[in-house]
Amino acid sequence: MISDREERGDLTGPAPAFTRTFNAGTLTGARSGPTVLRIALGVQLRRLREASNLTTGQAAGAIRATHSKISRLERGRSAARPRDVADLLTLYGVTDQAEREKLLALTRAGSVRDWWQQYSDVLPRWFELYIGLERAASVIRTYELQFVHGLMQTEDYARAVILISNARAPAAELERRVALRMERQRLLTQPDAPELWAVLDEAALRRPPAGRDVMRAQLRHLLELTGLPNVTLQILPFHAGAHAAAGGPFTILRFPDPDLPDVVYLEQLNSALYLDEPEDVIDYVAVMDQLCVQAATGTASKDMLSALLSQT
Amino acid sequence: MTDSSPDAGQNAPKLDTTVPHSARVWNYWLGGKDHYPADRMVGDQVMAMFPDITRLARADRAFLGRAVRYLAGEAGIRQFLDIGTGLPTANNTHEVAQAIAPDSRIVYVDNDPLVLVHARALLTSTPEGACDYIDADLRETGKILARAAGTLDFTRPVALMMLGIVGQIPDSDHPEAVIGQLMSPMTSGSYLALSDGVNTSETFTEAVRHYNENSASTYHPRSPEQLAGFFAGLELVEPGVVELSRWRPDATPFPDAGEVPGMCGVGRKP
Repeated sequence: MISDREERGDLTGPAPAFTRTFNAGTLTGARSGPTVLRIALGVQLRRLREASNLTTGQAAGAIRATHSKISRLERGRSAARPRDVADLLTLYGVTDQAEREKLLALTRAGSVRDWWQQYSDVLPRWFELYIGLERAASVIRTYELQFVHGLMQTEDYARAVILISNARAPAAELERRVALRMERQRLLTQPDAPELWAVLDEAALRRPPAGRDVMRAQLRHLLELTGLPNVTLQILPFHAGAHAAAGGPFTILRFPDPDLPDVVYLEQLNSALYLDEPEDVIDYVAVMDQLCVQAATGTASKDMLSALLSQT
Repeated sequence: MTDSSPDAGQNAPKLDTTVPHSARVWNYWLGGKDHYPADRMVGDQVMAMFPDITRLARADRAFLGRAVRYLAGEAGIRQFLDIGTGLPTANNTHEVAQAIAPDSRIVYVDNDPLVLVHARALLTSTPEGACDYIDADLRETGKILARAAGTLDFTRPVALMMLGIVGQIPDSDHPEAVIGQLMSPMTSGSYLALSDGVNTSETFTEAVRHYNENSASTYHPRSPEQLAGFFAGLELVEPGVVELSRWRPDATPFPDAGEVPGMCGVGRKP
C-alpha cells in the first residue's frame, strides 16, 4: 500500500532500534539524504551514551531537554541542533576534536530540509521516516497484494486509492496527498536511481480500485515502468498457489553503505513498524526471496500485463 | 532485457535457507548482504580454519574486474558468456563491460533459482547492450550454447567467463571436456577467462573438506598444472596462468598482502 492511509495525527510506530554501528564517514554519499544521516548520528549518540552508562533522562538533563527528545535524536526521528550534539559529546567524554567534528558534520548534513517536509500537513511522522529511507535506499524490494505500489501508481489510480481510506477528507487535502505521491516517484528516474524490485499479486490487477479507464492507464504505466532498467515487476499469478507471504504486504529497503542493515517496513492501519534487527529482517528476506522465485519472471510478467490490458 | 526462461509459476523450486549454499556463502565472504544464518555459520567455520578465504574471494572478484576490463578494452570483446554468475555484488561483468562499451552483450548462466531471480532483477543491461539469463548447469553445454545464441553472435568473438566455477564439478565430470565443448563453436579471437582455488595450501584444502561435508554443494580445488591445462589449445595472454592478484595488477599504494591459493588466466582462441 505505501501509504494509502496517511491519516491525520502523529501516531508514531515503534522506533527502529538500529543496533549496528554505522560508519559515518561513508554515509555522506550522494544518495544518503538527511534521514539516513540522522539515523547514523543517532546510532553513534546512543552508543556513546550507553558506553558512559547514562540513561536518556540523565542525558536530557545535560542539554535541558526531555528524555523523549533524546530518544528521538537517537532514533534519527528529528534533526539535531549542533549545540545539543556538542553538549552531549562533552557529557559523553568525547574530547578528541577530529571525532567531535565528524559527528558535528553529520549533524549539519542531517538537518538539511527534506523536500517532503512541505507536505507535513498530510504526512504523519511514521510515514515520513519511510520516505527518507526510501530515498536513501539502493534497492527497494516490495510485495503488494491489494494495490499497485505507491511508486508505480498513476495519478488517477493514486487518487482512487487515497480516496478509499480518506473518504471524508476535503478535496484540497486529497490533492495534496496525490501530489506528495507523484513527487516521491521522481526517485525512479533521477540519476543514480535505486532499483525497484516489486512482486505484485495478480489480485491487485484483477480487483481494481477504480474504473476501467483508470485501470487501463495504470496497466500501460506499469508496462512503461518495466522498460526502465532499474525497475523489475514480477506478478505472482493466481496459479502459483499458496505462498510464503501469508502475513501481508511488506517492503525491504537496502542501503548502499555496507554497515547499514536492511530495514523491513510494515505498514499498519495508522502506524508502521520498522524492523532492522537481523534476526527479524532475515525472515522477511527469506519470504521475499521465495516470492521472487515463485512469481513470474519480469519478462513473463510484461506479457501478462499486455494480456490483461487487452482484456480490461 | 530478454529472458530465456519460462514462467516460474506453479513448479517454482522451494528455497532452502537452512542449508548452506555456495553463492550465499561466497556473498558472505565478499561482504555482501545476501546470506542466511546457515551460510554465515559454515562461512565462519571456514574462516576460522582458513582466515584468508575472504581475501581469496575478493581477489577472485578483483580478477573478474581486471579481466573484463582487458577483454572489453584492449581485446575489443563485445560479447560475454558468464557461467556461474553468483549473487549480484559490485562490479558485475556487464557493468564493467558496458562501462567501457555500452553495446556489450552478456549472457549470465547459473543453475540456482535464487541467483537467477536476483540476476534478472538487478543485473540489467544498458539500453544499447543486452543481458540475458540462462538457467542451466555448467555441464549442460548444449543447452547453454543453444540458448546463448539467442543473444550472442557466435560468428564474432565471445569471451567465456568461468570464475570459481570449474571447481564446482569433480574430475569425474571431465571439466576439460566441458570447457572444450563450450569453446568449440567460438570463432578465432574468442577468449577464455578462468579462475579457481588451487590445492597448494594445506589449510585451505582442509577448510574446503569441512565445507564439502556441511554444504549442499562441493568444491574441488585442483593443482596449478591442472588449472593451466584448462587453457589447452589457447594462446595465453601475458602473464599466463598466475596467482589471482598477479594477473595484470592495478597500481596500488598498499603493500602486497601476499598470495592466496587461487589462480587465474586469460587465453585467446587462435
